[in-house]
Amino acid sequence: MRIEDVVCPFCGCLCDDLVVSVEGTKVLSVENGCTLATEKFTGDHRLAHPIRRTGGAWEKTTYDDAIRETAEILLDAERPLLYGWSGTFVEAQTLGVHMAELLGAVIDNTSTVCHGPSILAIQEVGHPGCTLGQVKNRADVIVYWGANPIEAHPRHMSRYTTFTDGFFVKSAFRDRKVIVVDIRETDSSEIADEFVKVTPGGDYAVLTALRMIVRGKGDLVPATVSGVTREQLFRVAEICLSARFGAIFFGLGLTMSRGKSKNIRNAIELTEELNRHTKFTISPMRGHWNVYGSNEVFTWITGYPYAVDFSRGIAFYNPGETTSVDLLRRKECDACLVVASDPGAHFPRACAEHLASIPTVQIDPHMNATTHLSRIQIPVAVTGIDAEGTAYRMDGVPIRTRKLFSTGYPDDVSVLGRIYSLVKEAKG
Amino acid sequence: MNFLMTTGRTVRQGSYVERKNTAPYRDEASCIRMNPVDMFDLLVEEGDAVRVTGAGGSVVMRVRQDPMLPRGLVFVCLGPYANALASPWTHGTGMPDFKTVPVSIEPTTEQPLPVSALMRECGGMPYED
Repeated sequence: MRIEDVVCPFCGCLCDDLVVSVEGTKVLSVENGCTLATEKFTGDHRLAHPIRRTGGAWEKTTYDDAIRETAEILLDAERPLLYGWSGTFVEAQTLGVHMAELLGAVIDNTSTVCHGPSILAIQEVGHPGCTLGQVKNRADVIVYWGANPIEAHPRHMSRYTTFTDGFFVKSAFRDRKVIVVDIRETDSSEIADEFVKVTPGGDYAVLTALRMIVRGKGDLVPATVSGVTREQLFRVAEICLSARFGAIFFGLGLTMSRGKSKNIRNAIELTEELNRHTKFTISPMRGHWNVYGSNEVFTWITGYPYAVDFSRGIAFYNPGETTSVDLLRRKECDACLVVASDPGAHFPRACAEHLASIPTVQIDPHMNATTHLSRIQIPVAVTGIDAEGTAYRMDGVPIRTRKLFSTGYPDDVSVLGRIYSLVKEAKG
Repeated sequence: MNFLMTTGRTVRQGSYVERKNTAPYRDEASCIRMNPVDMFDLLVEEGDAVRVTGAGGSVVMRVRQDPMLPRGLVFVCLGPYANALASPWTHGTGMPDFKTVPVSIEPTTEQPLPVSALMRECGGMPYED
């Protein structure tokens, strides 16, 4: 069977033009998708059944027992952490937040180790963003700052920027100028019209220099700024100022390096300066396919986008204190429920060590690094393949992922709903 | 020798991200890319094992040459190998310094561990399918 308009549940591009051929519960081929999409849809490395660790050995268990034991672990904990959420759909995320409130738990999503600093900056100075459709149809200058879309978002350039024509951009490859700013040459920088190579940790200074030039204070800019020559800074500023519509996309090169949220704030303020002369927007390159959805859901319910602590009986938010890495580093939480993510692989080792020392339960379709740190893992259906649900694209557009076929796996809502019911029953 | 390690995604890392217990994932995630002149200084060749030590710990990786990297900067894709080196301190931001990790690198005769063995070092219990 050939299914059209399939949505890819891998990265924040959430491409919705895939054509997938299936036979029973097997994916035969994927058209239009990138390598990541093809691997996602054709992957066959699911955990077959729930597992639990007793003493020094793993054993098979049932969904009923695994769900009951998970509820008991969460109810017994004084400071449980509910982490992950970016690889599942918003209906499951909603259940997670309600469960955190009942438990008095901390709930955090993977923004905490990707665009958390971007959110902090946006809370300070706002987000002059737009949808990817606007970029595709209007932008004649694209800036990728601290991002390598060819490796991380392989179809971003072909769907929205460099390699696709738009309503007002008739010949994208010729008419769109691309600027890449990075600390190293990448495949993305190779196709840029202007590659700006910054010394590591120097982004804030380069952003400030560009703001000075745009503000008319360029005579104060020194000969080089963080490895970038004055001449190139003026050239880049001129390209931006002569744009009819410019779009800045930034990645973790800004959020994870020195300055963190202040880098993003500076980039947003550069965008604001440019808007005094022309139209410019700025947007984060979101990684997980539904990490934006987790920020949306957390905010609808609690007022805060990540790192929400319910231990006071109200929603409390203080990144740096209530963020997962800090909680685990301080060895503060005494149980952890991991949903649709892999902190064992993506947190510093000290955090993985604490996860191994407390009862950690993982709800995830696949074996991953966190599996080895857990006491229980409950496999679920893969959203977008054998489960459906709503996700938010990196520009905040909600898209309903599709279910291609049924397997015997329950979806995240089914498993989380049962744990939630047990918790609610116990809490009265 | 001392280097600055940066991290990021690669298509190959993403391709195997749901198969972290396989050899191709280990090979990609435990690969450290560096400038060929730095390799010359370290007396290592493509595929040689090195022990990399950072504030968060120490781990064995294999060298791959990458002339696009400037001297002094090494690249490892995000994953449990890179994160074995990163400090958990976030300076009150919630975000560790994943992109700028000072590391020291020396040749070794040891081999990179599989992900399950890395997690055992963290106190976990490897699960084999």
